[in-house]
Amino acid sequence: MKVARVGIYAFLFSAALCFLLPLYVMLVTSVKSMDEIRQGSLFALPLALTFEPWRQAWSAVCTGAACEGVRAGFWNSVAIAIPSTIIPILLGAVNGYALSFWKPRGANVLFAVLLAGAFIPLQVMIYPLVRLLAAGGIFGSLPGIVLVHTIFGMPLLTLLFRNYYAGVPHELFQAARIDGGGFWRIFLQVMLPMSTPILVVAAIMQLTGVWNDYILGLVFAGREHLPMTVQLNNVINTTTGTRLYNVNMAATILTALVPLALYFLSGRWFVRGIAAGAVKG
Amino acid sequence: MAHIRNAALATMTATMAMAMAMAMANSAIAAGPTAEVIHWWTSGGESAAVKQVAQAYRAAGGTWIDTAIAGGDQSRAVTVNRIVGGNPPTAAQFNTSKQFLDLIEQGMLNNVDDIAARERWDLSLPKPIADVIRVKGHYYAVPLNIHMQTWIWYSQAAFKKAGITKEPATMDEFFGALEQLKAAGIVPLAHGGQAWQETVLFSAILANMGGRDLYLSVIQARDQKAMHSDAFRKVLLAFKRMHNYVDAGAPGRNWNDATAMVIKGTAGFQVMGDWVKGEFTNAKQVAGKDYGCIAGLGPTVPYLMQGDVFVFPKTASANAVQAQKLLANVVTAPATQLVFSQLKGSIPVRMDVDTSRLDACAQKGMAIIKDRARQAGVTEVYLTPDQNGAIQDVLTAYWNTNMTIDKAQKNFAAALRN
Amino acid sequence: MARPRRPARLTPFAALLPMALTAIVAYIGCALWTLRVSFTSSRTFASSQYVGLAQYERLFDNERWVLSLHNLALYGVLFIAACLVIGCLLAIFIDQNVTGEGVLRTIFLYPYAMSFVATGLVWQWMLTPGQGFPFDWIVDQDMVIYTVVIATVWQAAGLVMAMVLAGLRGVDPDLWKAARLDGIPAWRVYVSIVLPLLAPTLATVTLLLSTTVVKLFDAVVAMTQGGPGTASEVPAKFIMDHLFLRSNIGLASAGAMVMLAPVLAMLVPYAYARSRRVNR
Repeated sequence: MKVARVGIYAFLFSAALCFLLPLYVMLVTSVKSMDEIRQGSLFALPLALTFEPWRQAWSAVCTGAACEGVRAGFWNSVAIAIPSTIIPILLGAVNGYALSFWKPRGANVLFAVLLAGAFIPLQVMIYPLVRLLAAGGIFGSLPGIVLVHTIFGMPLLTLLFRNYYAGVPHELFQAARIDGGGFWRIFLQVMLPMSTPILVVAAIMQLTGVWNDYILGLVFAGREHLPMTVQLNNVINTTTGTRLYNVNMAATILTALVPLALYFLSGRWFVRGIAAGAVKG
Repeated sequence: MAHIRNAALATMTATMAMAMAMAMANSAIAAGPTAEVIHWWTSGGESAAVKQVAQAYRAAGGTWIDTAIAGGDQSRAVTVNRIVGGNPPTAAQFNTSKQFLDLIEQGMLNNVDDIAARERWDLSLPKPIADVIRVKGHYYAVPLNIHMQTWIWYSQAAFKKAGITKEPATMDEFFGALEQLKAAGIVPLAHGGQAWQETVLFSAILANMGGRDLYLSVIQARDQKAMHSDAFRKVLLAFKRMHNYVDAGAPGRNWNDATAMVIKGTAGFQVMGDWVKGEFTNAKQVAGKDYGCIAGLGPTVPYLMQGDVFVFPKTASANAVQAQKLLANVVTAPATQLVFSQLKGSIPVRMDVDTSRLDACAQKGMAIIKDRARQAGVTEVYLTPDQNGAIQDVLTAYWNTNMTIDKAQKNFAAALRN
Repeated sequence: MARPRRPARLTPFAALLPMALTAIVAYIGCALWTLRVSFTSSRTFASSQYVGLAQYERLFDNERWVLSLHNLALYGVLFIAACLVIGCLLAIFIDQNVTGEGVLRTIFLYPYAMSFVATGLVWQWMLTPGQGFPFDWIVDQDMVIYTVVIATVWQAAGLVMAMVLAGLRGVDPDLWKAARLDGIPAWRVYVSIVLPLLAPTLATVTLLLSTTVVKLFDAVVAMTQGGPGTASEVPAKFIMDHLFLRSNIGLASAGAMVMLAPVLAMLVPYAYARSRRVNR
């Protein structure tokens, strides 16, 4: 028994080391000077610790004529992320609820279409969506980008909620119907309050996806609402010029802090949410 | 549950209000013709260069709104999508190439014939550049600078260590120098194993070995006979031969990491455009002292030009048209041209700037382009993006695999057939 | 008293209107548009110059495209298998009442939160000979796709672990007691009893992983740019390159339709079968 415990911890510990290795490289690179990076080894600890790359990444690195670092897009990312998380999740919940309990005719076909759509690379749909949104007058605006995130988030979120509600005992639903509940009454008063765990799961997945999204925000958000990832990409992906690797790493970690914080704080919720039967087939 | 929902709603409203306030504050500052410019000058040196243009524009009374998007293809994709979506920028960066040909054909760009007439572009611009910005007799883009793609850079320290005393002046001497470097334990050619860099190397060999005639008949005329000729075969073989002088870590390497090898002296040569000068300058190296630049192995080798241009999307707004005209004037002014090229490593488009302010290699370049016989464009000046991509695929496959020379020659010709 | 039934019957349809609109206007609409463009010779913009199946012919004549399909098949199998195995192992081990479970869970989940644009660069550094490990797969034509597998499994295994762990937590604790009483060794319990119980969980996870496989793009661009040469090309990158870089949306659309076809071929009968079963 003891040997087995040691084995378990050994496995987990070595797996953890493997997983942490890239983070170590990123942190270590972000506090070295460029000379040290050029000369030295990837894994070496910094000889001269410097937080200048972090300061630069946050507020000073020049991307184009503006020298504001990734801070410039932070509030834009927030303004995009909040509605783009709440609205798709609510719609996904309603969809999952309707698909699980009410099963209207033809709904499963539509659901299959959505699932097929989940396999299409985003970029293929960009050009027709631009035309669509332009026709609706909302191209390049905040409602536009929220709509686009809703379109792309809907398949996965509907799947998540549908599977979750499939695990809820059907008797509960029958009882509510007999008590005289209609579609919305049952949803708002019975199902939604029960869905807290899966709501948290969905929020984490959708928020991570939206926060880290680059191409959709770039095309659809309009100039005034460009998210943080655009500045991040500007810092990292310059093709014809000097690459400041230390600033790149610092900028990446800064941009990832919001989803990381969310993972750390609600990791417990995340797992418990799926535990409540979310992922049955 | 309810109070969580209320808190979320409150936060959402607050952030949206904040975003709206910021947007309104931004638009309140605007005064004078406002130009929003989409470009991909996002590295340190490029940012400094575009800042100069922005400052010159502000000094002329305009308001500059900067939309920098790293990556040429992404930046251009956003430009195209914004034009289609009805929200075009005032100006957008493109390369001197056929990238904006479709935009012109769809009537989505304003022409700049008035600037062209005033600056006498039909006489003063190098022909390859003029040809690409002039479609059906109208000019649709304002050139900002001229880069040369196939400079041969070398490290003086590496030369000394290998015992090389003079710059190679022929292809054979070049191979000889590479051998000497190899014998001295130095990486002969610093190369970044990315498809576009392999095409740069190939263009250099085609220009240096084949000269202007073969280069233009293959790339501009797409003459199938020339592609199947013996001379072209020799070019492909020389290209593949270069692989022997490249180190094992080359695949995937970025161009600036290859330049770092030359800077350190661990590599001898690099074949790359003149944007590398920024790297040398950052490392405090001086042209002629620490590093050298060869435009061509011989006095007739074509000078392969590429450049950046601004295009002006069609717009109904009179303010925008005014901004476009102002921007075009600012960008073609001698002072702006000079400082932009200084910071970017290119040479100005205008012939009448004070060349003494440019570095030694840029001065060499300006002297060379005066010779009309040496003016030529890079592959994307003559080929559509798709054709350019197709030959890139062939060249990178040939470089990286054991493809036979016959297959390579055949595939190359097939790539440019239509 | 109970409300009259008839108006209520319409409500589910009304509530599903956003889903219907999204599915029909956005997804089916864009798919049809892409289908149409794939029959034309469109460059930067959609043209109406129809060329029949020429784009598809050109597509399959293209060595890079065919290679990308091979790469995707190889990558897909390895990625899904590795994620499932590693995710399950991690979940099972963490489920053994280990201390520091919260920390461990975060360590395995954090890669999912980071954008691959930068983490891919780190992986490229670590795997480049002369820099990180003495490991030259990333510059080898035949082995480079495996490096992409390694890096993407690193990113996704944590998610699989989390979902499997949750499923494990839902297993009846009496099952363990009974198994112990019967004297069945722990690993037998897992293999023969628990994993079959988790089959629905694993099926959903596999579906999610499959969507990631088909859309594989960021990792390849960040780590290898499709290289060396074209050795690590994948269909999504081929399509993207032709959409934006090469201004050839006709060919890109043909590629997208070719990718979509097998997915439709699997999902449509599945949906039909399910709706038949449900309505019975």
